[in-house]
Amino acid sequence: MVETNEVPFIELKNVSKNFGRIEAIKNLSLKIYKGESLGLLGDNGAGKSTLIKILSGLHQQDSGQILINGEEVKLNSYADSTRHGIETIYQDSAVVELMNVYRNIFLGREITKRFGFLDVKEMDKLSREVLDSIGIQGITSTRRLVETLSGGQKQSVAIARAVYFQSKVLLLDEPTSALSVKETRFVHDFIIRLKNEGISSVYVSHTIANVHDVVDRFVILRHGENVGEYNRDEISVNELSDIICEH
Amino acid sequence: MAINLRRLLLSKEGSIFLVLISLHVLAALFVDRYTSPSNIKLLLRAIPSLGILSIGVTVLMISGEFDLSIGSTFALAPMVSALCYDVGLNIWLCVIIALIIGAAVGLSNGLITVKTGMPSFIVTIGAMMFWRGIVLVVADGRMVPFELEGFARFVFNDMIGWVSTQFIWFAVFTAILWIFLSKMRFGNWIFATGGNLKAAQAMGINTDLVKVTCFIIAGIMAAYAGIFDSARVDIVNPLQGEGIALTAIAAMVIGGTRLGGGVGTVLGTFFGASIMFTIQDILMLMRVSAYLFQSFVGVVIILAAIGNQIAARGARKIW
Repeated sequence: MVETNEVPFIELKNVSKNFGRIEAIKNLSLKIYKGESLGLLGDNGAGKSTLIKILSGLHQQDSGQILINGEEVKLNSYADSTRHGIETIYQDSAVVELMNVYRNIFLGREITKRFGFLDVKEMDKLSREVLDSIGIQGITSTRRLVETLSGGQKQSVAIARAVYFQSKVLLLDEPTSALSVKETRFVHDFIIRLKNEGISSVYVSHTIANVHDVVDRFVILRHGENVGEYNRDEISVNELSDIICEH
Repeated sequence: MAINLRRLLLSKEGSIFLVLISLHVLAALFVDRYTSPSNIKLLLRAIPSLGILSIGVTVLMISGEFDLSIGSTFALAPMVSALCYDVGLNIWLCVIIALIIGAAVGLSNGLITVKTGMPSFIVTIGAMMFWRGIVLVVADGRMVPFELEGFARFVFNDMIGWVSTQFIWFAVFTAILWIFLSKMRFGNWIFATGGNLKAAQAMGINTDLVKVTCFIIAGIMAAYAGIFDSARVDIVNPLQGEGIALTAIAAMVIGGTRLGGGVGTVLGTFFGASIMFTIQDILMLMRVSAYLFQSFVGVVIILAAIGNQIAARGARKIW
């Protein structure tokens, strides 16, 4: 266990969330420190996705508190969550295939001139800069439709959002399940790079071996509860797998 | 420069514009009386009502929804307007009432669609029948005269040289909606909502608000189109606009709008509506049976859909 006096960047205190009679999250407490990469593990239905949705503002908890830098916050919308520096990267990248790259990067947070007119030139230029800084290959033009990109390139569009909007925490919900081995490595290298720059990440996956390379600490969920936290050095992939499968 | 020309022609509006121009050139060369002033005037008068209706519903279709009830709004709005005008209400007030009716029908369609999660196809089939019934009731099944005078006549039904004022309205509305869709933030949200609803929501876009707004735009444009169509013939027919929703789909598809949402332009629809009337006009001048018109349009729709697919593939290769 991590024992420290440092104030966690995000802290959940006794958070619960029900859907009708289903208790998706039960009295869950969790700390995410600055620059830490946290692996969120659990079988299907353990509450991983619900937890991510609460943190990204798409669901609201029924009880309990969320603290950011020690202060209680309400995450009532995606905008609330991004304002606090939380950015979510989904399995399907949450991109609009029929839209071009720069419009996707700035989707929902477009740069505008007066009266809601889009500043297309600025978005185009900034997108190019951000993609170059990520080091993704092969996106020849930011005016290309996203549907013409590979899975990894699509994910880099989502990553570009996090980089441009200077997120402090990345929530990665199965980010590599649609990617090739090479592309998966690209995403993992990027998570490590962000970690070195002090950016935290919460990595959700049920491919344990995948996560094991990247994260510092594991949190295991079962039936919506936090059933254990382990540092990476303390535990092997097999042991983790056993804990997840216990009933 | 060569590349730019290629891009222009492979863009949705570019390729459809090329088709329109080719049609005009061929017709001018081979069809008698095509270039006569009376024929051109006729064309420019015929296009706007379908055109205005179609660009409104194009915005809605880009957001991923469709409204079959626009044909009923196309009759209801001018009908109420004409009845108010008949009892002596100020014409501008009557027009405003018509637009409010259009907006209200759109609002109710939109709210029912997003709140129930039902396909808009079902919701608006119901609305189409409901509002058509209401038109017949308020008009008692009769036609109602709608003879505009003075400045109102100039605005809604007059000619400036060869060009009808209605066509100018059509061009202005197309320009406004084109800017709204492609240059403004809200327009970007409309494309995102139709292109990938879940992604748009994940990025914090209020997709319900986007869709309801698009339904309202479609309703207002249908009301406006109905006013124009009635003003043109000085009468409101309670049955006008039956089947026009499908003709609007045809104009949109010819213009390159994707039925599933996320892709489309009002400029394409502007050209699409123009092409449909040009074909109709050519067939008339060539004395082809009017009965065959629908068959021709059917063929054109299918060819246009195939052409759009090819153009889309080509456009992808350029980058």
